[in-house]
Amino acid sequence: MNKNICIEFKNVSKSYKDLLALDDISFQIPKGEIFGYIGPNGAGKTTSIKILVGLIQKYNGNVFIHGNNITLEKKNYHRLIGYHPQEAGFQEWRTIDHCFKTFGRLSGLTSKEIEHRTQEILDLINLSEVRYKKIVHLSGGMFQKLRLGQALLNEPQILVLDEPLSGLDPNMRFQFKKIIKKLGKSGITILFSSHILNDVQNIADKIGILNKGKILTIGSPEELQNSFHIGNILEIIVAKNTPLCENLEDLTNVDYVENIKSIKQLIHLKSDADIDLSITSIFELLIQQKCKIRTFNLVKPSLEEVYLKYVGGETE
Amino acid sequence: MSLLLLFFDELKGYAKSKVMIVLWFGLPLLSFLVQFISPQTLEGMPISSLVALIVSSIGGTLSAIMLSTSIVSEKNRHVYELFLIRPVRRSSLILAKYLAVYLCLVIAVSISLTVGLVIDAITGDLIENYLEITFESLIIGLSSMSITCSIGIFFGVLVSSVPLAAILSVYLGSQLSSIIILPTFFIEILNPGILALSLGVVITIVIMSINVIVFSKKQF
Repeated sequence: MNKNICIEFKNVSKSYKDLLALDDISFQIPKGEIFGYIGPNGAGKTTSIKILVGLIQKYNGNVFIHGNNITLEKKNYHRLIGYHPQEAGFQEWRTIDHCFKTFGRLSGLTSKEIEHRTQEILDLINLSEVRYKKIVHLSGGMFQKLRLGQALLNEPQILVLDEPLSGLDPNMRFQFKKIIKKLGKSGITILFSSHILNDVQNIADKIGILNKGKILTIGSPEELQNSFHIGNILEIIVAKNTPLCENLEDLTNVDYVENIKSIKQLIHLKSDADIDLSITSIFELLIQQKCKIRTFNLVKPSLEEVYLKYVGGETE
Repeated sequence: MSLLLLFFDELKGYAKSKVMIVLWFGLPLLSFLVQFISPQTLEGMPISSLVALIVSSIGGTLSAIMLSTSIVSEKNRHVYELFLIRPVRRSSLILAKYLAVYLCLVIAVSISLTVGLVIDAITGDLIENYLEITFESLIIGLSSMSITCSIGIFFGVLVSSVPLAAILSVYLGSQLSSIIILPTFFIEILNPGILALSLGVVITIVIMSINVIVFSKKQF
């Protein structure tokens, strides 16, 4: 067992009656990594997360934390994990302070530790001012922050965040991403699920794409982009009112050029194209035609395109 | 450890709820008002007995509704997930709720009975063996409330609709809790107090065991 591996799913399957929610998934998350776990709704993200945090105990396969099987080490791993659930609510008669006290004691913290951690966390998530406010009076964003706050109470080594950004306004999303990045830098291993790619794009060290209970691919954002071939596309942006659009037909005579989308100034090259040769020829022709070229770029697939291709969606 | 912590936690929550204010102050007040506004309708009945009767019947039903609806609502809002990811037994969550509400009921009955007995003593309505009668009513009332509360939890754990849980708790809870005094109608030699206590304890333990098993199998 590699000591650097923090979380490991090994051949994990889970069914709900006739529905196969997880189909023999296996993956590893090294210590200190932020792992973006993405997939459409119903892909199996929450099921695998609930297995990891111990809410689902009947499944096939094995899940390891620091090399220990979680079914055999139940008591010990509770303290290692902080969990931000997708939907969980709080008893509304509680104040934030009361909530932290209860969860802190249940997690085995002393009163002194709870006080210290409560202040520290409320400062981090900007909820200090409403510490003694009843939960029923909190806004949606504050409620979401409270979910994150309780997950941090026991100073977890592993943070499991199930759709932490869903339902947040842009400003709150920005704040949340900032907090998650900060936590990631502190060395916590973070498993972060979302069905929106933008949520994980700038945060995750690695991304795992899940669909219909199967892990389709895992890699760093760059690896995913590089591994996914969508053809050679050149993007040319020219100054306004240049004759590029009028003389596009001439470009089709250049070797390897397959077709040209005039609206976006995208030039699709044949898959076997010699990129260097083609670019030089295209450049020469455009210069002859006195085009004022602003930028000239070999387009890579965006992560969104990669994601949509994997989960069966359609790109433009 | 977690049971004790959750018990005091739940107690704090229920003690602040409006239902408990009704139980602790509203019902005794209602009983006294009935006695003072229309004393002839309750001729011969000490106010302490009337209060015990009202608190145990209405109080038990109210508590069952409160328990069932709060459990359904908390289940639907996934409140228990945040407890269960910590080292907390599922049985502790259910038992803490039951014990907290039951203790609130005992407090309500105690307040009502004490005030009732004081008023009876002042107004001179104390009948010859009032202590024995009052004690017997108290035992029957507490046993009945215990069953009603456990049935409230049963429907809370079992169903997913708040209105359905409330309706089932009202009708079946109060009906089933009367089981404890039924045998005395057919077998006269049975002491109603002892019988109610024995049946109350046994039935409560059985229902609560079922509740714990069903709750443990729930997927959160």
